[in-house]
Amino acid sequence: MNFFRSLAAQWGERYRKMSIQMVLSLSFTTVAAAGILLMGISLIWRFSAANEQLVAENSQRMLAQANRNLDSYLRRMMRIADTVYYRVIKNTDLAEGSYTDAMGLLYEENRDDLVSLAVFDSEGNLVSAVPLASLKAKADPAGSEWFLAARKNMENLHFSSPHVQNIFDDPDSPYRWVVSLSHHVELTREGVTEGGVLLVDMSFSGIEQVCRDVTLAKGGYLYLIDGSGELIYHPRQQLIYAGLLEENNKVAAGYRDGSHAEKFQGQSRQVTVKTVGYTGWKLVGVAPADSWLASSSQLFLFGLALLLFSIFLMAFLNFLISARISDPIRRLERSVKELERGLEIEVAEGGCYEVQQLGHAIRSMVSTMHHLMDDIIQQEGQKRRSELEVLQSQINPHFLYNTLDSVIWMTESGQQREAVRMVTSLARFFRISLSKGKNMIPLVDELEHARHYMNIQQIRYKNKFTTRIETQEGVEDLYTLKLVVQPILENAIYHGMAGAEDDGEISVIAFREEDDLVIDVADNGMGMPPEVADSLLDEDRPEVHTAGSGTGVRNVHQRIRLTFGERYGLTIRSEPDEGTLVRIRLPALTREGAARCHQGEVL
Amino acid sequence: MKKNNIVEIVILGVLGALVVITLLIPQLLRDRENGSLLSVSVLFRDTDSSNWIITRQGMEQAADELGAELRFLNLTVQNDSREQEELLRRESEGGADALVAVPVDPESLYMALTRLSTSCPMVTLECAMEGGAGAVAPDNRAVGQELARALLEDWSGGQVVLLDNSAACPEVESRLEAAQEVLSQAGISCVRLAALPEAWADKKWVMTFEPGATRQAADQKEDGYSFALYGVGSSTAITTSLEQGSIAAVAAWSDYAAGYLAVEQAVRAVRQRPQDLEPLTFSIVRGEDIYAPENQKLLFPVTS
Repeated sequence: MNFFRSLAAQWGERYRKMSIQMVLSLSFTTVAAAGILLMGISLIWRFSAANEQLVAENSQRMLAQANRNLDSYLRRMMRIADTVYYRVIKNTDLAEGSYTDAMGLLYEENRDDLVSLAVFDSEGNLVSAVPLASLKAKADPAGSEWFLAARKNMENLHFSSPHVQNIFDDPDSPYRWVVSLSHHVELTREGVTEGGVLLVDMSFSGIEQVCRDVTLAKGGYLYLIDGSGELIYHPRQQLIYAGLLEENNKVAAGYRDGSHAEKFQGQSRQVTVKTVGYTGWKLVGVAPADSWLASSSQLFLFGLALLLFSIFLMAFLNFLISARISDPIRRLERSVKELERGLEIEVAEGGCYEVQQLGHAIRSMVSTMHHLMDDIIQQEGQKRRSELEVLQSQINPHFLYNTLDSVIWMTESGQQREAVRMVTSLARFFRISLSKGKNMIPLVDELEHARHYMNIQQIRYKNKFTTRIETQEGVEDLYTLKLVVQPILENAIYHGMAGAEDDGEISVIAFREEDDLVIDVADNGMGMPPEVADSLLDEDRPEVHTAGSGTGVRNVHQRIRLTFGERYGLTIRSEPDEGTLVRIRLPALTREGAARCHQGEVL
Repeated sequence: MKKNNIVEIVILGVLGALVVITLLIPQLLRDRENGSLLSVSVLFRDTDSSNWIITRQGMEQAADELGAELRFLNLTVQNDSREQEELLRRESEGGADALVAVPVDPESLYMALTRLSTSCPMVTLECAMEGGAGAVAPDNRAVGQELARALLEDWSGGQVVLLDNSAACPEVESRLEAAQEVLSQAGISCVRLAALPEAWADKKWVMTFEPGATRQAADQKEDGYSFALYGVGSSTAITTSLEQGSIAAVAAWSDYAAGYLAVEQAVRAVRQRPQDLEPLTFSIVRGEDIYAPENQKLLFPVTS
């Protein structure tokens, strides 16, 4: 189990490292090869099955032909036996004549098929025989199997198994293999009938000739057995008799007529059996499995070559197709990598629909990203510019000169306490302006900054207006963008309080509205028409860098929106002779919120 | 070149190579199957092949099945080892792919074989030979022992003559010695003679250990000598003598199998596939048993 897991893990790892082209190529090729192999195996199986059927039919046809020939041969032998019996033995009285001449004629007519013709009396004594006339001294015909069989079954002809005929004294060829046909006959001697046995020794060559000429499928052969499975003919009979070869003849004797599959000595083969009428012999056709599984190794190899060539072609096509599919993806991947390296390149758009769409989407994304980056750069620039402008406004030389001039004037006029207060406020004012370079500062500091500014301006304007700074409880700890209140106050002083007669009032009220921090800066000055108030925040308004020109207000508005988004910023409500209310809307940021907003800045 | 391309080229290369191989193999097989017949020369030690008719049939069957062409060569003088060596040299130089020999003198034949300029595998019949590609023979000691035991079953007294007329062949010597051991253990007096004596005083017991000697002894017995003969061989002449009672029993093995195996081994030796040969099986056949089914198959070749 662990082995398979490890194997799966290894393959998984390899799969992750493979290119898409390789995955496609190997997958397609594997599937195609499996399909082709399956198809090939199926075809071979079908071909073999059909071939097996053909071999069986061919064997049956050949065996039927051999059976006809053998039957014809055996019938001829039986006719010879009948002729001897009915034409010679029945018509001859041994007391008056002999069978020899008539049998000799028959023998001469059929000498190719016959070895001998002989008649024995019931005791086994030779009555007549051709061509050999004498028996061996030790011959015992009455003890022979063919004699006993004929005596036992008097009605029928009996065919023996192949044996060496050992009863005749044959100086030329003493040991000949024959198949003996024996028949009980009735001999007439002096008008009296007596039992006897007719022997027809069939030449082995006759049977061999019938069987030898049968050609079965490649490697196939035919053999003949008797009812008990004893071999009568086999193309390699002597090898079997010599013990160098074995045949499954005993088992084949039990087969019925037809084709059978068997396994003998590790070899699968098809055995077709046909029983020869009358004798009970069986013709057995053997076709090795090789002959139909693949009719030859050549054909098998040719089929294999075709199969491999198909796989080769499929693999080649798969590689081409997978390359065509994966190339656009790889080009896209290269484009993305080059983009990652920061190179300005044209994102490739090619290949099939989905890849084109992907390329298009990436190109669009890259374009959007570029725009966003441009926007960010631009916004950052604006922010920096705005912050710089604010800082510059804080050290406005004109404001500084007037303040210092006021301090000199107060000192000379003996108003030392006011002078000290003014210088102190100026110092606090600048310290908070700088705030160690931080952009986000606590609301308390921002309002403190506003208070010091107003202190200075009140002294300068000889208390023509009063200032009220209030905070809702709990908002002091909130954080705000720095220097957002002072420019508004500056604007309120220059525009709202210019015509005031000691009754001017500027109020700064900070409160929380849900998740927002709102700082209202209101004055009861001259006010302005609403369209003018609206135009103050218009970015397209020409810039006039003079004190109270409204540039500071717009600057604050832009800085807030650049930092916190479009939802935040300033709103100005004003009516002529009624005053102006500038509302600063900021997110209600705690220390952590402010830190997140300005990441990396130590607050 | 990218890794992917290399892998693809390797896969295509392997597949292409397999296609080419599978297309070439049938051609190679066809060439091999249609290869020329092997030339196998068979050297007997007799002046004619009458003792080897059945052996020749076995050889011809093997040659027919295995694609060989046989040349049968007899000596002009019986058991002339020099002539056999000369034949060996001539056949080898004449292009014989393999040789099958019934050696007259295995040692001198081996020396002649080593002197050949070309390598030619040789399989021997009857006798083993050093440096040969195999020997087709029965277990000679067992043959001698079993034959002696057959004699013991019939023995009724008297001396046993062990006919020792093929001294050069160690295998015959082995049979003889094994038989002598069995007889000696049974307390029977034995005498080794190179030839049968001219005159026989009493009924004697004779054992021969080589087919030629057996046939000669049987012929002598038919000429009027009176002795019980126990020999080896399965030729027609020996079988006839066995049937007629001239020979009491023989140790017989299939000459057909011997011939077949000898040529088969020779062909295998040429084709670099020689196998270890098992000793030939043999049977002790008595005259009255020759027509037993198994003995018929052993002694009488199926001929049409």
